[in-house]
Amino acid sequence: MPIIVQNVSYTYGKGSPFEKLALNNISFTIEDGDFIALIGHTGSGKSTLIQLLNGLIKPDSGSVIVNGHNLCDDKIDMKKIRSTVGIVFQYPEYQLFEETVYKDIAYGPSNLGKTPEEISKIIDDVLPLVGLESDILDKSPFELSGGQKRRVAIAGVLAMEPAVLILDEPTAGLDPAGRNDILSCITALHNKKNTTVILVSHSMEDVANTVDKILVISDANLLAFDSVANVFKDSVALKNIGLNVPQVTRVVNHLKQKGIDLGDDIYTVDSAVDAVVRYLEEGKKC
Amino acid sequence: MLKDITLGQYFPLDSPIHKIDPRFKIIFTLCYIVLIFFADSLAGYLAVALFSLSIVALSKVKFSIVLKSIKPLAVIIVFTAVINIFFTAGDTVLFEWKFLKITQEGLLNAVNMALRLVFLVIGSSLLTYTTSPIMLTDGIERLLSPFSKIGLPSHELAMMMTIALRFIPTLLEETEKIIMAQKARGADFDSGNILRRAKALIPVLVPLFISSFRRADELATAMECRCYRGGEGRTSMRQLRIGRIDWVSLLVMIIFAIVIILIHITNFKIMGY
Repeated sequence: MPIIVQNVSYTYGKGSPFEKLALNNISFTIEDGDFIALIGHTGSGKSTLIQLLNGLIKPDSGSVIVNGHNLCDDKIDMKKIRSTVGIVFQYPEYQLFEETVYKDIAYGPSNLGKTPEEISKIIDDVLPLVGLESDILDKSPFELSGGQKRRVAIAGVLAMEPAVLILDEPTAGLDPAGRNDILSCITALHNKKNTTVILVSHSMEDVANTVDKILVISDANLLAFDSVANVFKDSVALKNIGLNVPQVTRVVNHLKQKGIDLGDDIYTVDSAVDAVVRYLEEGKKC
Repeated sequence: MLKDITLGQYFPLDSPIHKIDPRFKIIFTLCYIVLIFFADSLAGYLAVALFSLSIVALSKVKFSIVLKSIKPLAVIIVFTAVINIFFTAGDTVLFEWKFLKITQEGLLNAVNMALRLVFLVIGSSLLTYTTSPIMLTDGIERLLSPFSKIGLPSHELAMMMTIALRFIPTLLEETEKIIMAQKARGADFDSGNILRRAKALIPVLVPLFISSFRRADELATAMECRCYRGGEGRTSMRQLRIGRIDWVSLLVMIIFAIVIILIHITNFKIMGY
């Protein structure tokens, strides 16, 4: 189910004094089963882009084609698109509203017209994916902890069984343990169901640890859509647009300038550890 | 969609109207509203229209935006006009059908009311278009301050207004975000009968209420952390000073008032209206 974005532009507040170009002639294609990160500084157009991908807003020009359906077409069945492309917005716990966790997770699938039996089965499937126990189902979502609320909200989107899952900074405001939990849930989901995942993130470490490809936007323009290695190769370009390479890569680059070459393509702590061990062992041999 | 609401929005432009002291502007607006009700002839309305349009032109706010501010009230204006057409007692019957009767007096009354409402909306929205919310509440606070001697909490009222105005865009944005999120979960706000649509709003309203309370709580804490303790002994960073432009505008306003009142008193008519 590829997502094809062709020459898409979008402007906020057209014709008012607050007019702002959010996306400028952007084109790319996302293939089935891709695991992609979307990075860009605040206000670069990331949120606008993800809202375009499931038809919450329509582009001013260009087209978004999901699974062969053009989202600009007025006759299209929006519910089907919403169930194909699921979006977990930033701070999704603020969208919880039901009396019980069960009812809240059931909101999405029941909007899609699923029967109570189907919903009950879906919820049983979804809970372990986000690492929640079934005793939570009868509680009120408002008495849970922040991390739990976030998982319930993510479960609410997963319950719609989307083939493409978009997450807008799912780890924002969580403690390190919470972030790791959420990220490993997402990775597990991707591996298990081959769900296409688009992860919007400000943390280059999270990005390097999880995804295969990176989509970079800056000031409404698409700067790069490439593998993690290729995007992080040019640390100067990333710095110029208010982003950076992962911390560990910065350390490796500094060492290189001081004459200690650990090699290229080091973006995660694990690969850095391997490189250091290799370097030290080679040093011993000489 | 929600961002299209223009009533009460401020347009930061550089114009003489923007520069007028907010206290003057508030009083002018009140006078203007009163004066509209003195205009009851063609000449009167022409004077009001000429005055309003020149103020709009001077303010540099786009005319289309001013027209847009009337749109939300179109229903009320039409409703008032229709009521006036049918329920004004009069002798000159133009049209009669069963219990419905249209008289010339009714028709005139309807046009009167509709025009008054239109000018009323234009005038009052021009105030908010050209005055920043902070200036507006500053002006209101200063205008009300003499009444604090008789126990009117003028500072508190102004602070409440500032906070309310400050949070309108925030809450609109928040509403839009929640609507987006629930739409992404398959919510449908645009179909079904009224009852279904009202029910569809629950998933928006509950999170909105919760976040409003949370925000209010956080704001109260933040204000207390910065030692807020009400208006007593509090000074203002912006001192409002009356300048030349204020006196000029006052003069213009007085001339306008005299013209309207003269037209009213002398019963001056153009072509019999």
